[in-house]
Amino acid sequence: MRIILQLETPISENYIIFEENLIKLLEGVEKSGLNNQNTGRDFPQIILEQNFGVNGLLLCKDLKDRHGDINIAYAFNMRDKNRISILSDLITLKQIGIKDIITSEGIHPLKTVFNTAKPVYDIDILGLGLILKQGLMSSLSGMDINNKDIFNYFNFGVVVGASTAVDGLKVKKLINIGADRFIVNYTGKNLDESIMKYIKSEKKEVFLYAKESYLDNSPKDFIQANERFNLDGIIIKIIDEKTNVFTG
Amino acid sequence: MFLTEKKDIKEIDEALNKYKKIGIIGCASCASVCLTGGSKEVKEMEKHLAASGKEVTFTISIDEPCDKRVLKEDIRFVEDEINDTEAVIVLSCGTGVQTIGEFIGKKVVAGVDSKYIAQTEHIGEYNALCGGCDECRLNFTGGVCTITLCPKGLLNGPCEGHNDISCEVYEDKECVFMKSYNLLTKYSEEENLSKIFNPRDYGLSVKRTKI
Repeated sequence: MRIILQLETPISENYIIFEENLIKLLEGVEKSGLNNQNTGRDFPQIILEQNFGVNGLLLCKDLKDRHGDINIAYAFNMRDKNRISILSDLITLKQIGIKDIITSEGIHPLKTVFNTAKPVYDIDILGLGLILKQGLMSSLSGMDINNKDIFNYFNFGVVVGASTAVDGLKVKKLINIGADRFIVNYTGKNLDESIMKYIKSEKKEVFLYAKESYLDNSPKDFIQANERFNLDGIIIKIIDEKTNVFTG
Repeated sequence: MFLTEKKDIKEIDEALNKYKKIGIIGCASCASVCLTGGSKEVKEMEKHLAASGKEVTFTISIDEPCDKRVLKEDIRFVEDEINDTEAVIVLSCGTGVQTIGEFIGKKVVAGVDSKYIAQTEHIGEYNALCGGCDECRLNFTGGVCTITLCPKGLLNGPCEGHNDISCEVYEDKECVFMKSYNLLTKYSEEENLSKIFNPRDYGLSVKRTKI
């Protein structure tokens, strides 16, 4: 089991200071002893989530340049960008060498501080999967061969629910189109164990995504409570990289 | 029916500020049903304008102001008055406002806000069920429109944010994908449960407006 941290890019803080705090945070995770030492380095250690802070692509590039040994994943949602803009991000990610992407539909603006914003939702994550794994847009004129390579470049992680039969159907569709990793959103409600088992039976990695507040200050207890799902890892959304369950 | 809501009267007053002679046109169809542009609302507007020192040159309710054929017939009753009018308040949806503006060639002021295509539950209680977007997918969803009823307009839902069967945004409402699932199961249309919708072709939903 691996502990992976997910953080939104900083808003007011200087991104270099943010990166330094991030390194300390990763050290805190290692010191916690919760990471399975046998787990390989192919899992991302940290997920940078693009919301409205510093540009996440810039941060990925800078982190890689300064701390090349950190394995980073980039998380983005379908709420904020249309297919053209997403494609541009994917091309950029490939050029800076980020292979791991985590995609979600995204929290509706009405549930955020930007409740007057127009949501995009041009494509959904299944639509993105069709583009990335089934070559839906690969015939676009004007795209050269190198760019077409992006369609099979990424480890395509998807955030899903896993509490109802409809979630199970969506998971099945995502598996059918070639999603690589499943990140199950933990909402405090009971998860459907059969969905988790199904993902594992399809030889796909499955992670549980939980906000730090759900951990009740004890990542260890949270891990133990979810051991039955045979998870590949737990993704913990950290709100403040300076003060949290790992750094105190 | 196309739902409209009354505009803030201050906005209307400001839009009419420089005009003295005002006409009022109501809509005897949709706006009448949702109590924004029927004969009662036309009378209320007439009273308000008179109290504001304006001269109301005419009032009329047109059956369907969005239909040029109907408009052409009905507007004849106030043809002379229109000639003596500086601006016209239209109590109908945006289509009616623009149709009248184009037809009479005078300043028109929208008296209501245009909302959406609505199902009428009761007078004053409406539901948006159809966004009139482009290709209708109701035949594959059990007859419920996920584009309109899901706040995110997803084709391939549900999103990760729903809480059990509840919608992430409207927590007191059932997620439309649960409803769709139940209906497809009820109608033994399980084959549609595994359907993956390609991203929408927004080229089809660009409104074809004759300029």
